[in-house]
Amino acid sequence: MDVNYLTDGPVSQKLISQLIEKMGGKTDSGGHMVFLGQVRADEINGKKVKAIEYSAYIELVSVEAEKIKKSIFSKFPDVKSVDIIHSTGIVRAGEISLLVFVSAGHRHQAMLACSKTVELIKENLPVWKKEIFDDDSHQWK
Amino acid sequence: MEVKVLFFGVLAEVSGTSIKHYRDVKSIGDLKLRIQDDFPEIVHYNFRVSVNSEITDNNKLLKSGDEVALLPPFAGG
Repeated sequence: MDVNYLTDGPVSQKLISQLIEKMGGKTDSGGHMVFLGQVRADEINGKKVKAIEYSAYIELVSVEAEKIKKSIFSKFPDVKSVDIIHSTGIVRAGEISLLVFVSAGHRHQAMLACSKTVELIKENLPVWKKEIFDDDSHQWK
Repeated sequence: MEVKVLFFGVLAEVSGTSIKHYRDVKSIGDLKLRIQDDFPEIVHYNFRVSVNSEITDNNKLLKSGDEVALLPPFAGG
């Protein structure tokens, strides 16, 4: 495993560009699909979300992320690599909290596999979010 | 025997702790009752349980050194 699944704070531009750079060496891929999940400044009962605090069960994240990758590789045989990076800690509205990077031989499987990976992350990755409002109150989602 | 229990998400807030040790609990079912005695509010929340990073059910028997985690619904992304 050359990339960790979790990063402290937002997914940085540096992390994203490092992954893109790494893909340049993979000449067996014809298409890369990147999904970036961003924290939205939702308004709930007159209060605005200013940040989300993420927490995770680190050991189980690794187990479940490996299962997700295994399932993607078996469903989409043209996929060459799947990278997943999720934030822990505070991520402010407008910042990136999830990166999914899928490379495949051809574009169609890259797009489908990326979408499926995001759905599996939502269902199976042991991550929790606490929405923090502009008045510093919070709610669990 | 002793097991380690990890509280995640809203359950860490409700219990006011993220780790607690319990002695002499035979199964997940037993452990849940003990946890409810300590933190009665927890009955209002939905959660699954894992033992040593594997999601399991109430019948699962526990042994010394097991790591149990209380997992509210996941909300990643």
